[in-house]
Amino acid sequence: MTIDTPRSTLRIAGRPLHAMLVPIPIGCFVATFATDIVYWRTANIMWADMSAWLLTGGLAVAALAAVAGVIDFLGDRRIRSLRAAWIHGLGNCLVLALCLVNALVHSRDAYTSVVPTGLILSGVVVLMLAVTGWNGWTMVYRHAVGVRERPR
Amino acid sequence: MKPLHLAPGAVAALLLAGCGPGAIDPHRQIGADPYLPAIHQYLMPPMRVPTIVGWGRAAPTVPAGLEVSALATGLANPRSRYVLPNGDILVVESDGPKPPIGRPKDFVMSLIEKKAHSKVKAGNRILLLRDADGDGAPELRTVFIDHLNHPFGVVLVGSDLYLADTDAVLRFDYLTGQTAIHSPGVKLTDLPAGPINHHWTKSLTASPDGTKLFAGVGSNSNITENGIGAELGRAAIWEIDRATGAHREFATGLRNPNGLQFEPVSHALWTLVNERDELGPDLVPDYLTSVKDGGFYGWPYSYYGQHLDPRVKPQRPDLVRTAIRPDYALSSHVAPLGLVFTTGATLPPAYRGGAFIAEHGSWDRDPVNGYKVVYVPFSGGRPNGMARDVVTGFLDAGGHIRGRPVGLALDGRGALLIADDVGGVVWRVTAGGAEPR
Repeated sequence: MTIDTPRSTLRIAGRPLHAMLVPIPIGCFVATFATDIVYWRTANIMWADMSAWLLTGGLAVAALAAVAGVIDFLGDRRIRSLRAAWIHGLGNCLVLALCLVNALVHSRDAYTSVVPTGLILSGVVVLMLAVTGWNGWTMVYRHAVGVRERPR
Repeated sequence: MKPLHLAPGAVAALLLAGCGPGAIDPHRQIGADPYLPAIHQYLMPPMRVPTIVGWGRAAPTVPAGLEVSALATGLANPRSRYVLPNGDILVVESDGPKPPIGRPKDFVMSLIEKKAHSKVKAGNRILLLRDADGDGAPELRTVFIDHLNHPFGVVLVGSDLYLADTDAVLRFDYLTGQTAIHSPGVKLTDLPAGPINHHWTKSLTASPDGTKLFAGVGSNSNITENGIGAELGRAAIWEIDRATGAHREFATGLRNPNGLQFEPVSHALWTLVNERDELGPDLVPDYLTSVKDGGFYGWPYSYYGQHLDPRVKPQRPDLVRTAIRPDYALSSHVAPLGLVFTTGATLPPAYRGGAFIAEHGSWDRDPVNGYKVVYVPFSGGRPNGMARDVVTGFLDAGGHIRGRPVGLALDGRGALLIADDVGGVVWRVTAGGAEPR
């Protein structure tokens, strides 16, 4: 007898592509908040430049992760029936939109590229990532989304 | 499918937020007391860079009483010009150094600016044109000095010809009538250049008594986004001792000073200044001003006197308290680069005793502004009256770029010379029908 688990449609040798990609934007966006705080405290422009690169790099990989996520979401009805999947997906779409706005704010010159709007957006994104991340872990560790069916 | 539907909505909201306030009539910002609207900081600044189409068979437009013709065509980025005492005309062909990519925005900007500038690679050299009979068709065109490093300013004092490369002022021995200089030139003093070199054009003029040179050194950023440390010695006019090469900052806080000239009545130093971007379509007005010894003109901390720029931290209230309000606003983002005071009586009376100003034209304002040569009347050594359009037609009816005016000079016969870098032309404006032959 096996437990039938929700399937990841886009996978490499059984490993879901979405799960491989997401650590990069999560790391970039959390680091953006950190470098924004350092710029706010020091006004050393190097940190603001760092934030701009982190946002750009994070957005590029996040776009790929979003595509992989949407394919998985559409690929299995059992994923769509999970409340956590909706919170995770809609929440991260909002994260993506906020990061795009934040990248534009960070394209301004000097102090107002970070303080206050950019810094606030970076902080809000980190809080939202905690919520969407929690729901992502709920999907995998409680509902075994993308986990291979196994004999019991 | 709901998550997908969010994305177009978010993008539309972004685009709306990127639009700024509507632009005002530029005439409200010309003169001693320009209207200054509230600051608007963009999400996406408008990049209105017209397409380059070139002149074809067209020519600039001038008012009745003036005539315009091409003195030389097929030039590679003619930026500035200088007329030697024997009437020979020097044309500096130059382009900017390639800026480093410090952050994602620099990459995007490099693509946009590429569109606004000539595709032709400049020679980074000086050409000599000789039109001895004054018919507007030079008999001689030679390479005067070659292998220069992004040259811009030129001034002759006695038999010493000074040239401002982007990184140094060089001196060459010059004999009247010489058509080429092959000696390497002697360095008088270094100028700030370095790996960023954001504003690279170094204007040059000499004091009326010939003892001092004055060099315009533009800022290394729009508004300190490369760090305040990159601004050492910049956004300033340097006074350089001709005998020793020693220099001091004659005036500071001038974001990008160009077209340095001594006004013939008051003998005061005047400059054009290209002011900061990304505070809205009508901030900050570029200006024409007399330059006071030791004066501070605001950049980066404040603009047009003591209006604080929120993008600059830490601020310097001690300096801002001393910031001088410039003399004459030219309206926003026109990019004034060439200045010449009219002295002779060969042009019609409407253009005597004032200043011609070449406005290279905007790239971040919608609708565009500049792309013309204007005349500002003076009396008693001060601007007196509204700037008037003199040479127009640098944009065609569809708003495409035919050319962009940069450097100005008066030739030996009092005609106005205009270097047009995108068009690759030196234009010559004379009194219509009254040209002495």
